[in-house]
Amino acid sequence: MTDRFSPGTRAAALTLLVGLACVIFAPLAPWLVKWPAALTVPATEWIGAVVTWLADALKPLARMGARALSWPMDWAGWALIQTPFPLTIGAVTALGWHLGGWRMAAGVLAGLGFVLISGYWAPGMTTLSLVAVSVPLALLAGGVTGIVAYKLPALRRPIHVLLDVMQTVPTFAYLTPLLLLLGFGPVVGLIASAIYAAPPIARNVLLGLERVDPDIREAAAMNGANPWQQLFLIELPTASRQIWVGVNQTIMAALSMVIIAAVIGGFDDIGWAVLLTMRKADFGNSLVAGLVIVIFAMLIDRLSGKLAETRPVYSARITWVILALTVICTLIAARHLPASNAINLLGGVTDWMNATLGRFIAAYGPLLNAIKTNAMIYLLLPLRIGFDHAVTPMTWGFQWSAPISAAYFAVAALLAAWLGWRGRLLAALVLLLAAGVLKLGITHLPWPFVLFGAGALGWVAGGRGLAAYAVILLAIILVMGLWEPALLSLYLSGTAVLICAVVGGLIGLLSALSPAMWRVVRPICDLLQTIPMFVFLIPVLMFFQIGEFSALLAICSYAVVPMIRYTRQGLVSTPEDQVEAAISSGANRRALLTEVRLPYAAPVILLGLNQTILYAFSMLVIAALIGTTDLGQQIYLALGQGDVGLGVAAGAAMAMLALVADRLVQGFARKQSEALGLE
Amino acid sequence: MTATPNAAPAISCKGVWQVFGVNPKKNLDRALQETGGDPHETAQLLRRRGLIPAVQDVTFDVREGEVFVIMGLSGSGKSTLIRTISRLIEGTAGEIRIGGEDIFAADARRLLALRRDKLGMVFQHFGLFPHMTIVDNVAFPLKMQGMATAPRRARAIEVLELVGLGGREDARPHQLSGGQRQRVGIARSLAVNPDLWFLDEPFSALDPLIRRQLQDEFLSIQADLGKTAVFITHDITEALKIADRIAIMRGGVVVQIGTPDDIILNPVDDYVREFTRDVPKGRHAHVETIMTRPDPLPEMPDDPKLGADMTIDSALAACMSLYQPVPVWGRDGQMAGVVSPRDLAAALKAET
Amino acid sequence: MKRPQATALAAIAGLSISFAQAAELGAVDEPIKLAVNEWTGQQITTRIAGHMLEQAGYKVQYVTAGYQNMWQAMSDGDLDAAVEVWASNVPQGYHQLHDAGKLEDLGALGLDAREGFVYPAYMEETCPGLPDWQALAECAASFATVETLPEGRLLDYPGEWGTPGADRIKALGLPFRAIPAGSEGALVAEFRAATAQNAPLLAVFWQPHWAIGAFDLRFAALPEGTEECYSDPAAGPNPDVTGDCDFIPTRVFKAAWPGMKEKWPAAHEILSNLTLSVEQQQPLMGAVDVDGRQTPEVVAEWLAANESAWRPIVDAAVE
Repeated sequence: MTDRFSPGTRAAALTLLVGLACVIFAPLAPWLVKWPAALTVPATEWIGAVVTWLADALKPLARMGARALSWPMDWAGWALIQTPFPLTIGAVTALGWHLGGWRMAAGVLAGLGFVLISGYWAPGMTTLSLVAVSVPLALLAGGVTGIVAYKLPALRRPIHVLLDVMQTVPTFAYLTPLLLLLGFGPVVGLIASAIYAAPPIARNVLLGLERVDPDIREAAAMNGANPWQQLFLIELPTASRQIWVGVNQTIMAALSMVIIAAVIGGFDDIGWAVLLTMRKADFGNSLVAGLVIVIFAMLIDRLSGKLAETRPVYSARITWVILALTVICTLIAARHLPASNAINLLGGVTDWMNATLGRFIAAYGPLLNAIKTNAMIYLLLPLRIGFDHAVTPMTWGFQWSAPISAAYFAVAALLAAWLGWRGRLLAALVLLLAAGVLKLGITHLPWPFVLFGAGALGWVAGGRGLAAYAVILLAIILVMGLWEPALLSLYLSGTAVLICAVVGGLIGLLSALSPAMWRVVRPICDLLQTIPMFVFLIPVLMFFQIGEFSALLAICSYAVVPMIRYTRQGLVSTPEDQVEAAISSGANRRALLTEVRLPYAAPVILLGLNQTILYAFSMLVIAALIGTTDLGQQIYLALGQGDVGLGVAAGAAMAMLALVADRLVQGFARKQSEALGLE
Repeated sequence: MTATPNAAPAISCKGVWQVFGVNPKKNLDRALQETGGDPHETAQLLRRRGLIPAVQDVTFDVREGEVFVIMGLSGSGKSTLIRTISRLIEGTAGEIRIGGEDIFAADARRLLALRRDKLGMVFQHFGLFPHMTIVDNVAFPLKMQGMATAPRRARAIEVLELVGLGGREDARPHQLSGGQRQRVGIARSLAVNPDLWFLDEPFSALDPLIRRQLQDEFLSIQADLGKTAVFITHDITEALKIADRIAIMRGGVVVQIGTPDDIILNPVDDYVREFTRDVPKGRHAHVETIMTRPDPLPEMPDDPKLGADMTIDSALAACMSLYQPVPVWGRDGQMAGVVSPRDLAAALKAET
Repeated sequence: MKRPQATALAAIAGLSISFAQAAELGAVDEPIKLAVNEWTGQQITTRIAGHMLEQAGYKVQYVTAGYQNMWQAMSDGDLDAAVEVWASNVPQGYHQLHDAGKLEDLGALGLDAREGFVYPAYMEETCPGLPDWQALAECAASFATVETLPEGRLLDYPGEWGTPGADRIKALGLPFRAIPAGSEGALVAEFRAATAQNAPLLAVFWQPHWAIGAFDLRFAALPEGTEECYSDPAAGPNPDVTGDCDFIPTRVFKAAWPGMKEKWPAAHEILSNLTLSVEQQQPLMGAVDVDGRQTPEVVAEWLAANESAWRPIVDAAVE
């Protein structure tokens, strides 16, 4: 009998039962819906006390370290700002020629030229000085971590967990403890960005080392290399390609943290400029300042990318010519050109952008408002507070009532029965679960149901261990008293992921089918991933006002990118022989897609979904700047109030939610891969 | 390729076990005790307990100067065995002596010294360092020995010339063809002039034509240098072509050790027989394995001048029309034995 | 939040600005580090203060600092002074450090700040009873959005500044729902968008701020904010609760590292006596935020044209 029911079916059935029980007994036992305050552990206070004590104990040492780090940064900043801008631009252009020919040189010239005329040259150089110290720091720390993980397999698991935590705990959450520890100043931003930027290099070093051909490793050993010689002379150089990927990602991550560093303040960099323009809701200028960061990111990315690959040799003579021209220009500039901070040629453009934005809103305000209103009424409100509360005469035109409830569930039950009769038991159960969730609303879900549901998903995706993992982490959030903001976070990110999965999946699919589409989509993806998201908050806010719809859009605009990329990547990388086999069996385009490409791409697409989930969680904090009441807002609150405990606890809760979601999706992805025999 | 049977063994393996899994040593000891030391039952027991006995109670000697081929299908434990001997992985039990020295007991420093001075190894996928030029690859073991830059480059070029790659020394591995890469691998393994030469399926990744070419070259190098070589392969024709002796492995056990002729003409079981089924025996077995020394010598009216080291095929061709036994002559010109054409034909038919 | 402390401090400080006698200059070789925060008004005040200190013979270093996070640094002496601190949104950390004697209050800046409910001028047509607060109750529906239906929507301060808007509407019994803005930028973006399309908007906001003039924002007339109203339920229209009235004018003051008095006595005196009025500051903010000019340039012009406003303070401290 039992083997008729798959694990998924059994898990769904049990979850449904638990949910039913909760709903039935909720009137008798209100603690089923709302965790009793009496059972809440004052974890935030404890954490606050422990972290403060730790910070005080480590303070002298940390301050010394901070001072030591501020020297190279000051020095780099001084050198970058004092160097006349024609010299900097010329030298980097020469480097561009040397590495990538005239295309690269032109790119460098145009990019840095934009930075110069934007009026943000000096702040830009200050930003580079921060990156110039935080990146080597992150590379060193991350590289050593990766090597340690490689050399000591026993430590690999804990190190992976540590890296996950470093990447999922929002940076804002540990700014307060860092402030306590390191004191005020740019070093806090530097360390914060180094913490965030270290995991990619650690992961890639480990991955690269693991992927070294065993023959090469054994050859080194048999040739008499001792373990250190083996590592530094053979394995690391052999893994260099993978390591370069990590270096590249680390640089990008460090740059993306520039804004966070500015929240602390301490120096006048481009992040600070973005923040100031943000405060004024000056879209034009914030976009320009944001583009400066994008340009830095792109230039560093492309230049370092060229370093990693084997490349043609470009004439050294031209390099010298460029350098000579540079010196001449510098000499002329010293006499005739204004100083970099006196140049700002984009004022007209930014004014025009702001005016256009204003005109656009004046013209399309009602339309935008209608979009938002409909999305709120028919999608967001039911998801958040359920049909129960969302359906009122003012929204849907009628009041949700007990008879309607009965009819609603009757229809759901009929549909489920039909599905069950057709033999799709799992689909029937999932339908019933979804109907229940929509009726109650995500933020009103009883906690035993959420815990049990997560446990059931974990069990299906990865067995007992994963189930325990999910339940324990969620229970910690519950007991810490952060359940309500956590559910709100879950609602916001969950809805965003849902939207991203559909929209991003579709765009990815279209991009896979049409290279022309991909040529349009790709630069947009690049832009969305590197520009500080703060910049987009302004137009989003002006279009749709403060509120969860704007927050949702902001989250989606960032989190949709991996979904697009991975979907396309998965679909276009179907092995040629499978495609040929399908075509020779008479598959048309449609069948090829649904029967061959999609199943093969499924694990990759699931990985993309996983990334989308992580991105969505990471954007929650930034969405809090629009105005939300979830964990992201708690983190800001903590930062503003210097409440170490709340900041760390909320950050940890956010990381736990993200990790649970991550593990669940990875579990499903692994199952799918195994089913395809890819692992 | 001549074996000197009575010299002290270059490598001696005694009761070597290699078990993978949790706590292999303890589990093996326990299983051995429980089964009273029966290797087969012990292996079964270990498997039931979730461990993998990759090499089971293997015992053999490799003689000085011989090419000892370990042959088996993938998963038979041959690669594990060579890695256990070179201690790229730690053996679970047993004793391995190289030149009389117990290498399981060697500490890290001694092992390093052994590898730097005495051992050379060639890998299936070449194991070339992609970030180094060809000459740097070949010079790497010399660098590890601490040799100065100029002499090690000179020596590396010398070895490269030996494998026919003179003039390519500043190329990178990815610029070479597969066959050329393995020549580099061979050159590198010979750079320090090792006493022991391990070759782990060195030619398996190559095209058949290149493979045959490199086999011939291996034989000519080996004829010059006379190394003690342990050669892993899954290709029976390769094994028969280059081996002085062959050990055939199956499921972690050595099922037969013998000369190529032994293996072909007297397979111990169906497994080995299956291996040699498609081997044209006449081309691989030699007259000396079936000749006899009857006393007194029979009447031998004909003498087609058969040599002891002739293959059966050519011997048969020479005495196609004869019925009476004929003499077989050794290399030294003395009569080595007697063979009757009937026996020659029978040997070909037997066991097929 | 923190309102009780703020009002208490305001009562103590009063308006007793007297020019004390000349003081020692102190360590003139070491630069005095003035905090530059995120908003234009503060940057203007800081530049003026910095110029005055330079005229007195000091070196000044302007240090960019996040307003919320700089207080520990100031108590450590990594920053020496902040010359425009708003009692209404200074974080808890400031009060803790001040109470522990690790930060010094240098007295009021004299900036007559006002907080309250603001709306764009055109709303007086939609809701004719404005600016009287009782009109808000009647036209709540015209301020409603889909998130707040059927109530009106009030944009509140960012969460970390507290929830004064929510407190007011609750005490006054207004049919509004407070939506916390995420940041100052979010508030300004709303003003921009609303005024571009004459959309309804009610928000908690403050003055001096360039947006008041730029978007023609008006304050709603709530019942007068008094001390009694916040301590005695009987005061104000709602007899059952306190706080049923307008904001009490926020105290804007100067804060410094306590070691300043000893290290730079004259500077300490100059900053203590520094004052700046809304009338003085607001045009300068307009020049920067609306006309897009550079802060140092605008401040330099003002300093040159209004020497009588600041020179006496410097002279009194130095001579």
